[in-house]
Amino acid sequence: MPDQGTAGERVVAPTGAPDDVLRVEHVAKRFGPVVALQDINMHLRKGEVLGLLGDNGAGKSTLMKIICGFEKPDAGKLFLRGEPYEPQGVHQARKLGIDAVYQDLALVDELSVFHNMFLNRERLRSPLPLLNNRVMRKEAREALDDIGVAIPRLNVPVARLSGGQRQAIAVARTVHSEADILLLDEPLAAMGAKEGALILDLIARIKEEGRVSMIMVLHNYVHVLTACDRVNLIQDGRITLDKATSETSVEELTEIVVEEYRRARQAANGRGTRGR
Amino acid sequence: MAVEAGQTRGKATPDEGPGGSRAPSGALALGRRFLTLREGSVIVITIATALYFALANDRFATVDNFKTLLPYFAPVAILAAGEVFLMINGEIDLSIGAVYLFAPFMFYEIYDDGNVPLLLALVLAMLVCMVVGLINGIFTAVVGINSFIATLGMLLGLEGLTLIISHAQPVDTPGTDVATQTTFAGIFGAGTYSQLIWALVIVVVLQVVLSFTRWGIYTVSVGGNRHGSAEAGVRVRLVIIRNFILCSTCAALVGVLESVRTSSIQPDPSGANEVLFDGISAAVIGGTLLAGGSGTVVGALIGALFLGILRDGLIIEGVNADYLSFYLGLAIIIAMAANTYVGRVRRGSGSA
Repeated sequence: MPDQGTAGERVVAPTGAPDDVLRVEHVAKRFGPVVALQDINMHLRKGEVLGLLGDNGAGKSTLMKIICGFEKPDAGKLFLRGEPYEPQGVHQARKLGIDAVYQDLALVDELSVFHNMFLNRERLRSPLPLLNNRVMRKEAREALDDIGVAIPRLNVPVARLSGGQRQAIAVARTVHSEADILLLDEPLAAMGAKEGALILDLIARIKEEGRVSMIMVLHNYVHVLTACDRVNLIQDGRITLDKATSETSVEELTEIVVEEYRRARQAANGRGTRGR
Repeated sequence: MAVEAGQTRGKATPDEGPGGSRAPSGALALGRRFLTLREGSVIVITIATALYFALANDRFATVDNFKTLLPYFAPVAILAAGEVFLMINGEIDLSIGAVYLFAPFMFYEIYDDGNVPLLLALVLAMLVCMVVGLINGIFTAVVGINSFIATLGMLLGLEGLTLIISHAQPVDTPGTDVATQTTFAGIFGAGTYSQLIWALVIVVVLQVVLSFTRWGIYTVSVGGNRHGSAEAGVRVRLVIIRNFILCSTCAALVGVLESVRTSSIQPDPSGANEVLFDGISAAVIGGTLLAGGSGTVVGALIGALFLGILRDGLIIEGVNADYLSFYLGLAIIIAMAANTYVGRVRRGSGSA
């Protein structure tokens, strides 16, 4: 993407706050010929909920996957609680307290609800390291009750559940991990209004506790303004807006997107269909 | 797939689910619940087959025949137990027959040339075969070759290597004596119930590993959703490599047990390929899906028992050897069809 145009002029420079838990500086990532991230600068303060907006293909999910260790950046640096952070995989990121809800949910259809909730975090007996299903079932029940999403039976494979229930399980397992940095990639995508409200309530409660910091990809501006402290906008692999939600409005966010569509259409008319 | 999911969800009302705890009581519900057990269909088919042979021929339901039957199914059960792990993983190991062939020769060579104690030679031979599994696993999980192709290459290469090191000549199995049974031989295959005990212990241990350990959970999760498992932090490559090693180890053990039982080591690749087909057939008949994500070790044991009973029964009936393969093939296809149908009803989803 040879694009140094309008988006490029408004690129957010590396900034920070003293209480940052996570800082991303000049991160770039490409997949073959496709540039997913050009130059990302972003920071996350302790206890903060950061909303991430952007068009499809702008690079939101790629950025999330880099932070949680699933992808490695081609360039740039990450800092976790002030220390250089180069995760060698999801496993390590989780050990360092970063956990994610992925857009595809990462649930295993063949496994039961509670095994999914404890995937890679299984509770074991001692001395033999056998799965402690009883404890996992109990804790899974508590976690789901805490959110208030109705999932009657925890022994059934998740293949049998509705999209909203599956998403609730994915959110519940991440929120109830020990992690203190949570990445939520469209946590409300498959949910109805009622389930969505339950998840937003949960996020508000966690925010009040102040222990956990979150980055959330959302599409609904009203959700962004109610759930988040601050909002970042990704356009063409760069952060082009960084504002406290108290200083922006649905109108402003909408205007930015309308503007983006206009540019995209001009570009499309100008040089045929463009890539991501 | 979506259409199929809709249909099967329609068939399986919530009451018929796994566990089926809220199903109405009564013989019918119990029967239905049994059939929707993962191994239910193959158990029914196996019992029916055994009953048929017992009624058709007095010589079937005897202690002597049970002893004859053992070598038909115990080795296959061990092979299938390892293969089940890989198949749940969504992979397949075609080299188990070659490892079965290779392991006893390795045992012989190390014992004969290395001047090492018998048991140590056995352990070293097993380790070499574990390296074979490691290589299979690396080619599949790290290099990214489809496991069908990678292990097909290993099958040919290893059979060739066996013929080279053995000069295509049979040898006597170390530690065995045709005239009297040594303690070593008694434990490692020659004792009447030795193979049965090995098979039962391995099946129980591996079923526990599959159902109640992280290893098992990760095997299912990688087979069911490889990408999602990686996202959840499961080390997918490690899981796959580990299962390849397990599979090769099982095959190597069976190779040694069989060579000790017969007290000679035969460089016979066609026999080895038959072993491969038996192992995979037993796993598939036992309800393990080739597509991954589902299967049990106990099912594989029952699948092996079914194959053993069928083969033994047909031989007692005096069926011509040419018909034997034909009937076995037919039985496998019928069992698979039954499993697919029952599996769909059980899962209530077209996810597999």
